[in-house]
Amino acid sequence: MSNPYLPDIATIQRVKQETYDTTTFTLKFDDPGAWEKFRFQPGQFVEISVFGAGEAPFCISSSAHGREDFDITVRRLGRVTQALHDMSEGDQVGVRGPLGNSFPLDEVAGKHILFVGGGLGLAPLRPQILDVYRQRDKFQSVTVLYGARTPDDLIYRDELEQWQNLEGMRCLLTVDVGNDQWTGNVGVVGSLLSEVKFDVSQAVVFVCGPPIMIRFVVRDLVAMGFGEDEIISTLERHMRCGIGKCNHCIHGDKYICLDGPVFTFRQMKAMMELEP
Amino acid sequence: MSSYFLPRDRVDELVARLLQSAEVIAPKRVETGDVFYSPVSSPAEVAWDYKTAVEPLKRFLFPQREPILQFSREEGKLKVEAVLEGKERIFLGVRGCDVTGVAVLDAMFGGEIEDPYYLAQRQRATFIALACLEADEHCFCVCGDAGPFLKNGYDQQWIPLAEGMLIEVGSEKGQALADAHQDLLSPAEPEQVAEKLQLAKKAEESFGEFRSYIAAAMRRLTMAETPDEVWEKLADNCVECGGCTFLCPTCSCFTVTSREEGDGGMLERQWDACLYPCYAREASGHNPRGEHPQRLRARFFHKLSHQWAQRNGRHACVGCGRCVVGCQAWAHMSAATEAIRRG
Repeated sequence: MSNPYLPDIATIQRVKQETYDTTTFTLKFDDPGAWEKFRFQPGQFVEISVFGAGEAPFCISSSAHGREDFDITVRRLGRVTQALHDMSEGDQVGVRGPLGNSFPLDEVAGKHILFVGGGLGLAPLRPQILDVYRQRDKFQSVTVLYGARTPDDLIYRDELEQWQNLEGMRCLLTVDVGNDQWTGNVGVVGSLLSEVKFDVSQAVVFVCGPPIMIRFVVRDLVAMGFGEDEIISTLERHMRCGIGKCNHCIHGDKYICLDGPVFTFRQMKAMMELEP
Repeated sequence: MSSYFLPRDRVDELVARLLQSAEVIAPKRVETGDVFYSPVSSPAEVAWDYKTAVEPLKRFLFPQREPILQFSREEGKLKVEAVLEGKERIFLGVRGCDVTGVAVLDAMFGGEIEDPYYLAQRQRATFIALACLEADEHCFCVCGDAGPFLKNGYDQQWIPLAEGMLIEVGSEKGQALADAHQDLLSPAEPEQVAEKLQLAKKAEESFGEFRSYIAAAMRRLTMAETPDEVWEKLADNCVECGGCTFLCPTCSCFTVTSREEGDGGMLERQWDACLYPCYAREASGHNPRGEHPQRLRARFFHKLSHQWAQRNGRHACVGCGRCVVGCQAWAHMSAATEAIRRG
């Protein structure tokens, strides 16, 4: 029997500071065989072990396409994330995964694709955005709406700039509170929804962000006419084991780690009915 | 499956043989008079006359604190190894509720992704249940479908008759054990089976006032019909000690911690309790179950809802009554099911 608790060792290849408290780490498995087995899909997550500090779940924030390494984007908040931030290129961590389900891709071909991200919630959407754009011809339109608290909280800034200039993709940014340099939109990310001009009956939306943002954005999306199965989000709980054993991520009758982390709004509503 | 008879004067001989073949965990009385499932070294140590053991069996299969990985750094390079231990063990004279509790653990640690640490212990365990002839004060296994006599789930079930043990075989493992000691056994006689039925009837009549309205609770939890006030009132009672979860044969929440030790260290898992305020708290400070009533609702939903019963093969209360004994307030299974039933 393979041991689902036994991590593969990976080495930090790159450390890219995204904001004052958030960093993207690029990890590569020491054993090339581990990468072969890894084969992840957008939306999936990993358990990262910083030996001596602990283990914590992180979504994979890069696309698998054309790469032999992957990214996690980490905000410095707790013990494990602090320990990660203290590490640098060449340091080693443990990786278990890929874990959980993933975003649908082929199933949403032919539709308008909308992404709504808030803060660090852009991280789990990034692999899906990249994969959707890579197969741009399969979709009617691609729109990314992204908001953060302040301009200093925007992650993937260089990439956002690229996305704003890409043909075939609309990328709109907003911040809750601007500063002297900020000339863009000010307001919560939901305020950008008025920019959506396509036929929502032909669309699917991927949403991720802090719980309060998801709540308000989903309410707006429903009001706009998005179907309950066409609103897709990724939920996060503190998944200690990632394999449905420790029970920490249970919500209602679901394990976020096994049955999710990707859920449709219809599924989320059913879970909320059981555990509001 | 076959049934055998083991005469009273041969019981110790059989136990002595079991002691030769594996570690035997059996009910053992300590100085205070309490009985714990403990390793025994002689047949005389087995407390056949006990009613319930203070703790269930789970710590033998799922220890309170268990190393799972060991890591070391050699010339700066990380090496990680699994720490997998399993022991040949015979659980002798254990109660039906506790054997049924193991069935729930089997479902939780089994399934599509198997837990190798649990299985390392479980696969080498043999369960010899001892049918209960009389309920203890806080027992309600009749409500939990886990006793006092078992229909399945054991390797062998021993029923203490007047002149010896009636041994019922419940698995291939149990049959192999009977085959190995045929010289001490004889096939069960119809009178002995009749005596068992008498004893089973008497045992069922011995239950006292403690009961658990599991069916009512199950239906209401499943349909999300329990009003918030039920959880708020239970939360007023509950002191969040977590005792019920640690004493429960089926509670299996754990957390994982990592610690340094010399030039390496360990990853360990240890029991956790869903009633603790920080249980679901995330690094951001967001706590999806920050309120005490939310935690109680989640606990009993996980224990009794049809949704989880379907996932685990049965609901997760075996009616052992330990949460009733251990609860310092009025928030145990019987209290909760009654409160849910009253709405």
